[in-house]
Amino acid sequence: MTTNVYTYRKPAGLRDYLPRLPAGVWSLSGFSLLWFGGIVLPLLAIIVVSFLQGRGLNINFDPTFLQYERFFSYGGGEMLARSVRIAGTVTIVELLLAFPFALWLAKGCKNNTVKLLTFTALTVPFFLSPAARVIVWRSVFGINGAVNQVLLGTGIVDEPVLWLIFSEFAVHFGFIGAFFPTMVWPIFLSVSLIDNDFLEASGDLGASRLRTLLHIILPLALPGIVAGFVFTFIPMLGDAVVASHMGGNNVLMLAAQVQSLIGVSNFLVAAALAAVVLAIMLAFQVLLWFALKPVGGLAGVFASLRR
Amino acid sequence: MTIENKTLARFRLPFWQRLTDWAPTGIGIIFGYSVLFILYFPIVMLMLLSFSGDPLTGIPGDWTITWYEDVIFADIAQRDGEAYGSNFRVGDPLLLSIMLAFITSILCVIAVLIVGPVLPRIKWRGPFLVGFLMPLMIPGIVGGVGLFMWYRLVIHVKMGIWSLVVAHFVWAFPFALLAMLVVASRFDTRLMEAAEDLGAKPWQRFWQIEMPILKPGIYAAGFFGFLLSFNELPFSIFMRAGQDTLPLYLWIQSGAHNTTVPLIYAMSTIITVGSIGLTFLAIKLAFGGGQNDVRQ
Repeated sequence: MTTNVYTYRKPAGLRDYLPRLPAGVWSLSGFSLLWFGGIVLPLLAIIVVSFLQGRGLNINFDPTFLQYERFFSYGGGEMLARSVRIAGTVTIVELLLAFPFALWLAKGCKNNTVKLLTFTALTVPFFLSPAARVIVWRSVFGINGAVNQVLLGTGIVDEPVLWLIFSEFAVHFGFIGAFFPTMVWPIFLSVSLIDNDFLEASGDLGASRLRTLLHIILPLALPGIVAGFVFTFIPMLGDAVVASHMGGNNVLMLAAQVQSLIGVSNFLVAAALAAVVLAIMLAFQVLLWFALKPVGGLAGVFASLRR
Repeated sequence: MTIENKTLARFRLPFWQRLTDWAPTGIGIIFGYSVLFILYFPIVMLMLLSFSGDPLTGIPGDWTITWYEDVIFADIAQRDGEAYGSNFRVGDPLLLSIMLAFITSILCVIAVLIVGPVLPRIKWRGPFLVGFLMPLMIPGIVGGVGLFMWYRLVIHVKMGIWSLVVAHFVWAFPFALLAMLVVASRFDTRLMEAAEDLGAKPWQRFWQIEMPILKPGIYAAGFFGFLLSFNELPFSIFMRAGQDTLPLYLWIQSGAHNTTVPLIYAMSTIITVGSIGLTFLAIKLAFGGGQNDVRQ
């Protein structure tokens, strides 16, 4: 008896029992399982952890509001309000500064070299050490720093100006430079996706520039504005470097509070604080979702890139 | 009214009325470049001050390279067990950071190759995208604490190098994925089908069709992984065990003593110059090769 090559069948392997899907879908599922199980779930679990009680590394699984009470009795509410206020103020200032710039960059700037240089200038800061970007301000704004020496030397002031560093002014100032690109990029992308024909049509129909801005550009750029708001506000809220370098101990923000809580092994109160921030963040994510809905959600943004 | 007429009519206006035409442009330019100045001023100052005799005054001058010598010799001297002026030791954190950056970079490339080409083609990509990009929407410090809580408190795993790798990957992956998606959403899947019809094996389709087209995205993912990991701070604060990464070490040192500040300036300058160089390389590799692209 000879083996007939035409009727030979491979022994059934695992592959034959699985539904026939492109290979990529299987590896994507595997990776997603790791990502959602190892990263997303733990991050959301912090909300559950914040309702538990315990001491140090031992925790009991019985629900309580104790951590939140302790957090607010330690002056956590005040600190949280300060963090949100500072981050919110700077984000709005960034928006006012970035919108005209992004508009000009997307529609006004015709010089390609200038454009390319500006893009590079807006990209490079993402990859720089956060401390390297702000550390110098201390020498410039300090009591014996450059600004004070100039002010004293020229006789404008008689004694060193102290509010230049380790103050709320310094924190605001430090944030403005550091978080500018995250506001410009999304607005630039959304404005540059607006069809030029719309703007010309609006002008030809007799609309003033202000009217075109308010009725054509603003609504179409809204997803970018909201995305810019989220990508600027959220990292700023949790920034560990600017607040500690520019604010010192006078302007304690979120990051410093979390660190000091972890430092004294007060893990569960830190969890409560983190849970409050997560709740704020989730609210923003819902806001972003609604803002992107008219353009088909996050996936729609990428679909529009395909054009 | 034709465009020519409109342009002509505008030139006939007195100049104070034409002013309103370019005033918004002027505001945009002034605002934008002023903030970019505020952004780059400290970086340029950092470089100048790192070569200055007395950096703490904030006024450059009295040029010297003594701080750079100190950075290197302080580490070597202490490695040999000798006493040295400052206890600034940058060698181990630097090695750890470079190692982590390499691992993160490789992981990012692998993950992005798994996710990037498939995601634009599946129907329910919304929830996946939200999940993958979630770290972008959480303050780093909260993300770090969250992961720390889960692994240390809830499932009782000790922190180590692995946790730093996880932390850096979580931080860098969303950026790498975004870069890849920009390339992958333009990928024409009919090319793969055509290759299959012409008898190309799966690995041939991968190496000869998919890889060359996705190359800019792969480069970008690799560089993003490296640079973002190398400069990462907030996650590392909580996900480390014993050993400090370089940004962490510099950050702790800068808070501690004034004597080490000039050395921190020197070290930060080295890192900054390196990062800027790598960024330029990345931009060139990822987006400069437009001529060789396979056109759809």
